[in-house]
Parts: sequence; C-alpha cells; structure tokens
Amino acid sequence: MGAAFDTIAFKASLCDGCGDCMTTCSKVKQGASRISIVPGAAEAVFELAICRQCGDPKCAMVCPSGALTKDGGSGVIGWNSDKCIDCLLCTAGCAYGGIAVDQSVSRVAKCDQCDGDPECVKACPTGALEFRKAGSIYKEYGEREDLFVPGLSGCLGCNSELIMRHAMRKIGRNSVLATPPGCIPGMGSVGYNGKTGTKVPVFHPLLTNTASMLAGIRRYYDKIGRKDIVVMALAGDGGTADCGFHAVSGAAERGEKILYVCVDNEGYMNTGMQRSGTTPYGSWTSTTPVGEHMKGKTQDAKNLPMIMAAHKCRYVATASTGYMEDLYEKLDKAIEASFEGFSYLHIYSPCPTGWRIPSSKVIDACRLSVETNFVTLWEYTPQTGIRFTRSPDNALPITAYVKMIGKYRHLSQDQLDHIQTKVDEQVALLRIMAAESPPPPPAHRQPAAPAASPAPAIGGDASQPPVRREISRN
Amino acid sequence: MSKVIVCDGNEAAAWGACLSRPDMVAVYPITPQSSLVEYLAKFIAEGKMTADLVDVEGEHSVLSVLHGACLAGARTYSATSAQGLAFMFEPYFRTPSLRMPMVVSLVTRDAVSPTCVWGGQQDAMTVKEVGWIHMYCETQQEILDTIPIAYKVAEHPDVMLPVNVNHDGNYLSYGVARVELPDQEIVDSFLGEKNVNWHACLDPERPMAVDPLTGGAGGIGPSTFVKYRKGQCSGMQMALQVIEEAHADWGKRTGRYWSPLIEEYRMEDAEVALVTIGSMTGAAKDAVDEARLDGRKVGIVKIKTFRPFPVQRIAKALSKVRAIGVVDRAVNFGWNSGPVFQEVLGALYHLPVRIPAMSFIGGLAGADITVEHFARAIDRTNRLAAGEAATLPVWLNEND
Amino acid sequence: MPEAKYLLVGSSHAALEALRSIRHFDPDGSMAMITRDQQLPYSPTILPYVVSGRSKPEAVLLRDEAFFEANACTFAPNAVATGLDAKTRSVTLASGESWRYERLLIATGAAPAIPPVKGIETVRFHVLRSLDDAQGLRTAMGGARHAVVLGAGLVGLHAAENMAEAGLSVTVVEMQNHVLPGYFDAKASERIESAFIGHGVKLLLGCKVVAVEPRDGGHSCAVHLEDGKVLQADLLLVATGVKPVTDWLAGSGVDLDRGVLVDETMRTTAPDVWAAGDVAQATDFHTGKRALIGIIPTAVDQGRIAGQGMAGDTYQKAYPGGIPVNTYRFFGRVALSIGQAAASDGVEVSEREDGGYRRLVMSDNRLIGYASIDEPFDVGIMGELIRRKVDLSPVMDAFIARPVETGRRLMSEQWR
Repeated sequence: MGAAFDTIAFKASLCDGCGDCMTTCSKVKQGASRISIVPGAAEAVFELAICRQCGDPKCAMVCPSGALTKDGGSGVIGWNSDKCIDCLLCTAGCAYGGIAVDQSVSRVAKCDQCDGDPECVKACPTGALEFRKAGSIYKEYGEREDLFVPGLSGCLGCNSELIMRHAMRKIGRNSVLATPPGCIPGMGSVGYNGKTGTKVPVFHPLLTNTASMLAGIRRYYDKIGRKDIVVMALAGDGGTADCGFHAVSGAAERGEKILYVCVDNEGYMNTGMQRSGTTPYGSWTSTTPVGEHMKGKTQDAKNLPMIMAAHKCRYVATASTGYMEDLYEKLDKAIEASFEGFSYLHIYSPCPTGWRIPSSKVIDACRLSVETNFVTLWEYTPQTGIRFTRSPDNALPITAYVKMIGKYRHLSQDQLDHIQTKVDEQVALLRIMAAESPPPPPAHRQPAAPAASPAPAIGGDASQPPVRREISRN
Repeated sequence: MSKVIVCDGNEAAAWGACLSRPDMVAVYPITPQSSLVEYLAKFIAEGKMTADLVDVEGEHSVLSVLHGACLAGARTYSATSAQGLAFMFEPYFRTPSLRMPMVVSLVTRDAVSPTCVWGGQQDAMTVKEVGWIHMYCETQQEILDTIPIAYKVAEHPDVMLPVNVNHDGNYLSYGVARVELPDQEIVDSFLGEKNVNWHACLDPERPMAVDPLTGGAGGIGPSTFVKYRKGQCSGMQMALQVIEEAHADWGKRTGRYWSPLIEEYRMEDAEVALVTIGSMTGAAKDAVDEARLDGRKVGIVKIKTFRPFPVQRIAKALSKVRAIGVVDRAVNFGWNSGPVFQEVLGALYHLPVRIPAMSFIGGLAGADITVEHFARAIDRTNRLAAGEAATLPVWLNEND
Repeated sequence: MPEAKYLLVGSSHAALEALRSIRHFDPDGSMAMITRDQQLPYSPTILPYVVSGRSKPEAVLLRDEAFFEANACTFAPNAVATGLDAKTRSVTLASGESWRYERLLIATGAAPAIPPVKGIETVRFHVLRSLDDAQGLRTAMGGARHAVVLGAGLVGLHAAENMAEAGLSVTVVEMQNHVLPGYFDAKASERIESAFIGHGVKLLLGCKVVAVEPRDGGHSCAVHLEDGKVLQADLLLVATGVKPVTDWLAGSGVDLDRGVLVDETMRTTAPDVWAAGDVAQATDFHTGKRALIGIIPTAVDQGRIAGQGMAGDTYQKAYPGGIPVNTYRFFGRVALSIGQAAASDGVEVSEREDGGYRRLVMSDNRLIGYASIDEPFDVGIMGELIRRKVDLSPVMDAFIARPVETGRRLMSEQWR
C-alpha cells in the first residue's frame, strides 16, 4: 500500500494577501517565514511558495550530508540542523521555492507543518490555507479491515461504495447495519441467495421502515446492557426523504439512539433513475424526462438535513466525499452522538450512471457541488445550532458545477437562473440560522477543543457514551 | 392462588401480555384497541411490566420496531385493528416469512368504507393468507389465557411464526367479565426460557446477512426461495400439534382447558351444525340450547384456530351432520359468502359424502348477532337438511 | 558466481537514485550495489566538511545497512571493478571475483585528475575524493604550516578555506585568471577572491606550476612556478579537477569519450548497460552536445532515468540535458550560480551590485543563467525557468527588479 500524508492546501481565490501566515510563521519559527505569499499576475491575486513535502523529494536526493529525510509517518521532509553543512544544494533540488535560505542565520529553512498543527493555517483569516488531513485518514483507515466483500457489483466510480467502505472501516465490526432497498444492497451488501456481502450483521429493512427497525434493535440491546453497538443505516435518499420518512421522523422525534446515514444520490438510481423528493430542480430523470413538453424536474428538492435539524436531533450534519477530513470528523461525532440520541448524517453522493458524469469525475463533482454552494457543509447540535464547517463565502457560480453533470445538459438560461436563485436563497437561510447560533469557530478552521467550546461538545455531558469494544476478526 | 378481577377484553389482553413478560411493546392507538395499549402503558408506568414501551408514529412502525427488536432477540407484543392493520401490512407481510415469533392482538373491526369503527372480522379475515397463525377468542378469560399460549406456540422451534390472538371489537374489547389472573410463576414456568432469534439475528457476535436477495431459481440451489416457502408452510402445519400441546400444558397448570383448534358443542348426536368463530359463539350456544329444548338436534363447531386451518378436525367433527350453517362476521368478496364458509367447504371436500351448507353473514360494523338471529340460522339450516335448496348468503342483520 | 538482475557499480548519488527508481517499479528483482569504497554510501561533496571537522566521518553516511536490507539490495564495498564483458554480462573485480548481471549501471564517478607536472610522482601530495583522502588531509593539516593548493575549483577553495581557518599559511595556484572559472563571471569571482585575500590566503591566478620536487627528506616540497618563483609547501593538495573512472571499461564495447557516452535515456552503446553520474558524458542542456557535468543534481536526474530504463518503467522521460549548478559557501557567505551564468557573448545581461551581487543572463527573453553573491535565490525555480524556456517578456521588468518573488509567482502559476 502506498503512503499518504496530510498537506497544507492553498486556495488562491480566497487569499487576500494579508500576509498573516508569513508573520505567524516567522514569529513561531523565529526566523524567515517558510511560507511565502507573493503578488500574482493581476491586482489582488496571490501565489504561494511552500514545501510540498514531495513524495520523491529531490532536495533530499541531492543532499550530500543526509540532512533531509522524509518522515514515513508524517510525510514531512525533516531537516537535521546538525547534519546540514549549509551547502545549499537542496535549494537547487527544489523547483517550488520550498526550501530557501534564511538570511538571518544563513541556513536553509523549510516548512515542517508545525508537528501536524500548522500555525499558518490557523492564522489565515480567509480560509485560503487549509490543512487537509486526507492523508492521515487514509493511513489510519486504509489499514483497517474492509467490512465488505471485494467484489461489490456497483457501477464504475460508485460514490456510495466509497462511502460504505469508508464508513464501515471506521465504525468496525461491533455494529448492526441496515441497508434498505436501493443501490447499496443492490450492489450486494446483504448478498444474494444466502451469501452475505458484509462482515457485520446486515439486513434489508423495508424501504419504508429502516429507522423503526433500527430503533427496535438499539432499544433491545440497550435493555440487555449491550450499549456499545453502533446501530446504523446506510440508506438512500428516496427511502429516507419520501416513503420511509415517517419512520425517520418518528425515530428522530423519539430520540432513538441510532446512526442514520443518508446517501443522497438525488433519486431512485437503483431502479433506473426515477425522481425522488430530493431530486433537484431541472434534473433529467427517467420520470422527469426531457422532451418538448417537459424539461426535467419542475420542483425543487426538499432539504432533508434541514428538516432533520428541525427535529432537534442529537446531531445532524451534511458531508461530501470531496471533503473526506470533514466527513470523517462528522462521522466521528455522528457515531458518538448515536449513543445519546438520533444522529443524522446526510452525505451528498453524485451517481456517475444516473447523473451522466464520467466515473473519473465523481470527486470533482463532489468538490464543485460544495464550491458552488449547491451543497453546503454544516453541522447542527441542539446546543450549538447550525454551524458551517466550510465557509459558503466566495462561492463559484452554480454553472461551474451544473455544466459537468449530464442530467443538467438541457437546462435553459431560465432554469439555470432558477437554480442559482434557489441555491442563494438556501444559503441565505442557512446563514441566518448559523448567525443566530452561538458563535462558532471560523468555518474553515478545526472545531475548537471541547474545553474551549462555548457549549458542551457531543457526548460532553454527564451521560458518557459507552466505551466501545471492537469485535476481533475471525 | 390466582387473583380474580373483573375486566374488559382489552384489559384481559393487556394482562395476558403482561404475564408473558415481553421485552418490548410498541403501540399506536386505534378504536377499538386503544384502551388495550393504554393498559399496557399503565402497567409499564406502574412497574407491573418491565417491557420497553415504544410509542411510535404509526402502525407501520409498530411492527417495524418490533421486527428490529425481535431480530436482536426480544420477545415482543402489540395490538391493532382494521385500518391500523392495513397500514401495518407491509411489515406484517414480512413477519412470518422472516419467521419472527411475536404475538399481536387483533381487536377485530370492520374495514372502511363506509366509515365505521365497530366490530367485525373483515380486518383479520383479509390477512388470512399472509402466514400468521390466527386464534380467535370467545371470552375475556380466553383472551388472557391465549396470549401466553400464543408465545409458547410462536417460539416453538418447530413453528417460529407470529401469532395473532384475535378478539372481537366492542363485544369483547369493551365487555366486562370475571377473569382469573394466573400467578406469574405459573406463566413463567409455562413459557420457560425465551428462544426468539435462534435462526435469524442481527448480532455483532455472530454476524449474518438477514434476508439476502433470493430468487426462485439460480443462486446456491435451484429452489432457494421455494425452500424458504416450504419451510414456512411446514412450520404452519407443525403448529397444529404444538397448539394442542400448549393448550393442554396450560390447562394442566391453570385448570382451564381451552379447545385448541375447534370446540365441539353438543355435537355428539347433532343432525345439523352451526360453525362459529369468536365471541358470537356464546349467543349461538344459547340458541342451540333452546333448539335442543324443542327437540332439534343441533350442535356447534367453534373454530378457535383459523390459521393453520384444522382441516381434518373440522371435517371429522362435521362428518355426521346432514346440514351445516356457517356464520361469518366478514365477507368473502367474489364468492358472495363468508370467508369461514369457504374454508369449511374446503375441509368438507375430505369427506366421502357431500353435506349441504349455507353461509350466514352477520355482526358487521358492530351489529349484534342475537340468540334470535341464531335461531333463524338454525331454522334455515334445518330446512336445508330437510331438502330445501341453499340460497345466497343470508344477511342476518339485513332488516335490523 | 554472484549475480543480480540489477547490478549497480558505484554507490553515490547516481547509483542511489537508480536504486530508488528501480525499486519504485520492481520491488522484487534481485539487486546488488558494488563500490570501490570501504564504507556505506557517502557523497564526495561532504569531504571538505570532514576536512574542516564540521562533519564527523561516521555521520556522513547517506544510507545504513537497514536501508539495503529493506530494499533487498546486496551492498558490496571494497569491490573495485576492473573489467566489463558486455557479451557474457559480467563485471570482474580486482579480487578476481566476477558478478553476473542482466542490467548494469555504471556509476563509478570520477577520480582526481593529476596534472602532468614534472616531478609530481616524486613528492608526497594529497587529493580529496574519498573519505580516506579527507581523513588523511585532516591529519596532515594538523602538522603542517605552509600549504599549497593546486587549482581554484570548488575542492581547492574549500580546502584552502579550511586550512586558512586552521591557521596554516595557504597559497592557491590557478592557471585561469579567476577562481571557480565557468561558474562565475569575473565580477563575481573577484568578490570571492577578495574574501580569500582578506582571510590571508595567497591567490596566484593565471599562474602555472612547471615542476615539483621533494625537500626535507620528502616531508615537504618545492613548487616551481612558470615565472620562476618557488613555493615551499609542507602540505601539497592537488585539486585540478577530476576525470571519470572509465579505465575498467576499456575494450568492453562501451563507447568512451571523456566519459561514458550515453543517450538521452542514459543507455551506453553496450546492450543492457546504462551509465549515470560523474562518469557519464550526457547531453548538455545548453549546447545539446555531450559533456561532463559532474554535479549532484545531474547525477540524481541521470540515476533516476537510468533506473527507470533498467526496470522498464514506462514513466521514464528523456534526459532534458544537464544544467550546471553551483551552490558555494565561503567564509559564511553565499555564492550561487545556475546555467550560463558567466556567459557574455550574444546574451542580455542584467547586473546589480548594491550590497549583494546579482547577474541575470537572458537570451530571447528567456533566462539562461543566474549568479549571485550574498543574495540567495531559489536555484531550483530558476533552473526550471531555464529548462522550461519560460518566456519572461510579460514579466520582464518585475523579474529584473525582483527575481525571487517573480520566480515564485511564475512557479506557482505554471507548475504548482
């Protein structure tokens, strides 16, 4: 297995050139800043030079003293000041200006990611710098047991499969999994003809009763003292938002202690791409086709996660596989919350087959859906209200997202305008709700530690979640 | 020493459930079942029951919550009626095919429309083909006693099927009678160790896939789906014996021996017979007693266990009579008769002789089937025995 | 007879990079690295720092035994290659042993070039190419007072600085008119020269040694210069350049010029034989002809390409040509150069001398060389601007005024 590492990512479009990152770095490192923001080609455009912590670092390969080595754990290229002979050959090896001479000491200096907590990122007021932890997620969970059979029969590039495998690696064997009718059992989670597709207890609920069945399971295990089992669903949007909604709503209202993950691919993809209540306006589906008299869906999607927030669930969050570190953080919180009450995670999940996008573009679609605010990433608890986990500021126009999705190929300018208007309305409403919430940390930053948090964090109150016991492999 | 109380049928059912110590009850109110779940809630609030009470958002979830609990190993109970049963139908259909051994009381009620909220058996009769065991009770005491018996049957390894213990809405649900409450120890020793989910479970300690996609052909065998269906049928047939054993065992422990499959009333020398089901049987017995005073040799075969249908026992009980009148509280659309009538005709096919029979339909939407109604039915059946042709079903309450 | 699918002769930067790129593609193929050195791999560039005492000999090793174990590569020191038979695919060692190979990398580097000075064979002198040389020189410094250094290249100047700092009187004799010829133009060189003069080092530039002879029973020597002057030296360091170690390849079928001739994929003329590093004579980026550019960055580039070719990695890219690079420290100061930094004919030159010294060399609005003294720049970024032939006309003013900042911007725009 290859290695993957965390990285400091730069979003040039958000950088206003304030230089706070450099000031902070210089102060923390007591010398020249190891991050360099320089003016770009146009007014108010900025560019970045920083160590990329390359996979095959030429700086290290040209070093005659062995002073530069890539750390197998963090991926950071470390500089050993004792070994370094100050020959500066490394500066010739780096094409990125990532290791440069600090003239104050006449020695080279480079970014060390501040031991996994980069100060520059924390200092950035606009979110242009982001510390992406996908690498450590990959390393931590890549080694974990995959709880599905290797040969699931999903479509090429299926995002739901990605979600399933990631989620279950994280949740582990001490769990009971409901996969109601849809793509997930369709690709074999519950298996066929007596053979299972999953290593945890798994079942088909009815499309309509997932949350209720899970409530029954959880309640009985709680009653007999087996409180550490994650009782969860990986359900589609149709069964959640439409015909199974009574069960979801009822379970949420009763505060059933379950983890309900809705994988939203905006329609009934498994049965041939029919419209659902979460299909967005304008979408082609097989029941909202495009012809002379119909140009796709004529109604807007219902915003299910907001509806769930209105249930005052223990935890509600939206997530996207384009933002795995965000998804993983939310999954952690959602798991924890599911021992305390109803925990709802809504993962937006582009479907290459049903949406007509190339399978290689699924993650691009995820990212663009967020970058255009078509999808917003936020979380909710009753104590903190709604909080954006990624700022909706500086969004791209929705055309940047819509144009890559085949199911919107036919849209007229009027329809595009409608979508933009609805996206803007939705974001405006969320902003109002988020603004009325207790002050959150800035949207792009790590959530504050529980101690510094203005309200109790998930599970931070008296009723501690059970210490989970993992079921060993067999 | 058993305690004696005076209560209605809904409370008797609640006591039956209480004594069976379910782990979970899920409830949603509907007339005429509502007081039953209120009693359950009260018992739990008072600590008489330790079951987890789940007040869900509808009958669909009533059964769904119990499905989950059952697959985790819980003994479960609920009750419903008519429209509630209709809304429950999707998970209801699945309960026996997943072999979930739960007990649900049906407080029988006629089905809309026209809108009505009163007794009748159209609800229970409509779901007779789904695969649940159906037992119909005649009295408040029988309701109470049948519920522990139903658990014993449902959880029997040879059966593993859900049981509906049915009692008539209004007449039994609200009618008050003397009821003996057996000691908890008697019920505990009768039921023994709970054994709910030995075959299908959702337990991380022994992970399995519950209900994989299964076809009628291909896969691990050419007849995987058939294998399951045959197993379900076999469980149903095995239940005939288990039901008898359970009733006998209950009788031994409580002194109350209920007829497990059918009850034969004054059938020894009967020349004509009425077939009844449920609470109507009391009035029928009075009518038979009066007819006997007049010298007419009339008897009654009361059906307690309607599913599995005790074909051989019914055929044998009716083999000596010259005419049969079957009284239904529901309609079998398409046959222009009552559903029990059709079932009895099927059983009679096993006899070497053809016995004339007629369908009587009464007691719809809370109407009473009085002794007088039964006297008319006996009269008409006697004429049938005397050679008068059978007619279209007789609607007993048509002119009430 | 020992054998390996991949046989690497040599153990410095080129061979180590070849090892890495082979293993990137083929984790299992058998591999051996044989070297004439006694130690685990080290870089010749480190040696002046061993001489000065800044680096301890045991701390300069680039890889440990665990590395070779982890990479499933046999490491064989003390293995002096004496012959190659490309037909039977075997390398003969001085010990008489032979190694069979399927694919061979020649990375034997270079050895000091000893100038044809009369009497040189009669005197005791030092060179600086191996760790043993460095330790020998360091020991000799301790007992010497008058040092003479032949050659004002990097090795000579580093050693001269070390010895001057150690209190010796030092004279450097250089045939050319300036130190570090080729890397720096005259103005830059003069800054370096004045630093040496300021630290008491005598620089005899444009000066030729005609003969040496032993004195004092061989404990010292006399160095006769062209102009008749005679220098007394109790420590003589010959640092007049290096020449590729190709003697063992005579008659092997591997075509030689000044070094081993290789194509743009580092293949030699013999089948399944590659060469990389100081021993290889590969394309020069500037001239397009094959030349010796004995520096670490080119050794690494060549080693990677050779390794990819040996392993059959289709990601292999053709060698773009070597670009000279020099990062030089003297008395704590910084001198950097890349490309045609000293060129003056047919090029546009921009020089600045306020404080530091900076020289940008352009041709057709493209950077071809850059040198500076006391004003560091991102050598790698400038190297990419040269290699990619980036048209600087849209940013020329900014680049001339603020080359580092503009270079970073161009990097960020173009290859981030």
